[in-house]
Amino acid sequence: MTNKEKLGLLEEMLDIEENSLKEDMDLEDVENWDSMAVISFISLLDEKFGKQITASQIKAFKNISDVLEVME
Amino acid sequence: MARKSISNYEYTEEYNFLGTEIKAISFHLPEIVLSNEQLSELYGDWTPEKIYEKTGISKRHIAGKNETALDLAVKACKNLFEDHEISPEHIDFILLATQSPDYLLPTSACILQDKLGIPKSAGALDFNLGCSAYIYGLALAKSLVTTGIANNILFVTTETYTKYIHPSDKSTRTIFGDGAAATLITQSESEKIGSFVFGTDGSGAENLIIKAGGSRKPKADIMSSEIKSDKDSIPTEENLYMNGPEIFNFTIREIPKCFHEILGKSSLTVDDIDMFIFHQANKYMLDYLRKKIKIPEDKFYVNLSEIGNTVSSTLPIAIAMAYEEKRIKKGDKVMLVGFGVGLSWGATIIEI
Repeated sequence: MTNKEKLGLLEEMLDIEENSLKEDMDLEDVENWDSMAVISFISLLDEKFGKQITASQIKAFKNISDVLEVME
Repeated sequence: MARKSISNYEYTEEYNFLGTEIKAISFHLPEIVLSNEQLSELYGDWTPEKIYEKTGISKRHIAGKNETALDLAVKACKNLFEDHEISPEHIDFILLATQSPDYLLPTSACILQDKLGIPKSAGALDFNLGCSAYIYGLALAKSLVTTGIANNILFVTTETYTKYIHPSDKSTRTIFGDGAAATLITQSESEKIGSFVFGTDGSGAENLIIKAGGSRKPKADIMSSEIKSDKDSIPTEENLYMNGPEIFNFTIREIPKCFHEILGKSSLTVDDIDMFIFHQANKYMLDYLRKKIKIPEDKFYVNLSEIGNTVSSTLPIAIAMAYEEKRIKKGDKVMLVGFGVGLSWGATIIEI
């Protein structure tokens, strides 16, 4: 899966505009990245990549590229 | 609110070893209602629609300031006796599941015996489990009846979790509602309470917990160490703490396994089951589990909307409502799955 496709999945998950996410974006600046998004990301990772991730691992993410890194 | 359910109760002195069944269920929800509109006014950033979309809940029932879990239990039991013409004098064992007892001691089930006029010859005990309690209670009740220890088990689930939730904890407040259910389990002409699967993982205890108030951290201690100005504005260790993401992780890790185990143990397939009723945690979690396990949507019962998550009572309330709505009928096979605080989980398959 390309990074562009992964960004698309995240945009869909966050219910935000297409192509609005950039790899170097700080997670604090990402719209709708809240406690609910953490759960959504856990399910996305489980569903699309068959991977489990803890909440504390997600909390340690600084920017979008950290998020993309686990999506494989 | 509909509260009538499976009503084929007929008292018999005769004891035989043929099997056990859920004879009747009734429930009670407190009158005070907390709507999404009210929550949205309190927490400006969430609209009523967004709360519904995320949780599947539009309102929850909240116990009044002076209304306790035992009060709710008494009402649920009185409904059971009235709706199904059951006489309290026939009850010979009370099982009561709660994590919000009126007192640290004595046992709520003992007080319930007196309030309901159940004979003094009856056994009574409380057990402390939350969202998995209904499965455990059915297993205990089945064991008591099957071994001939007791004949008519009054199994009560009752919680007032909302009393534990800090007013500022919006994500938890949107989910939980209070309520109680009363189930009568007795002997039957065939075995209608099937096999059981259980699971326990105490390493996840801290993910759903009230840290203070028990012996590990007595209330007096934290009161004296607390900075007073903060006490009213942020959750304290006396409040319910839920690590939502970790509870979600636990659920998607353990429940699919538990689901396949109970099918295997019962030698049944998805097609053999008429309805799947899971603990009504929240809609997001239920939807995800249903898709992950691949259960057809029309066989997966969800009734969160008007009730919310009532912890141990979600399963009996859902059975009663599904029956009332004719989504399930006599003879149907229904899978029940409970999971949550402990961490603790379990599943069984019953015949209605």
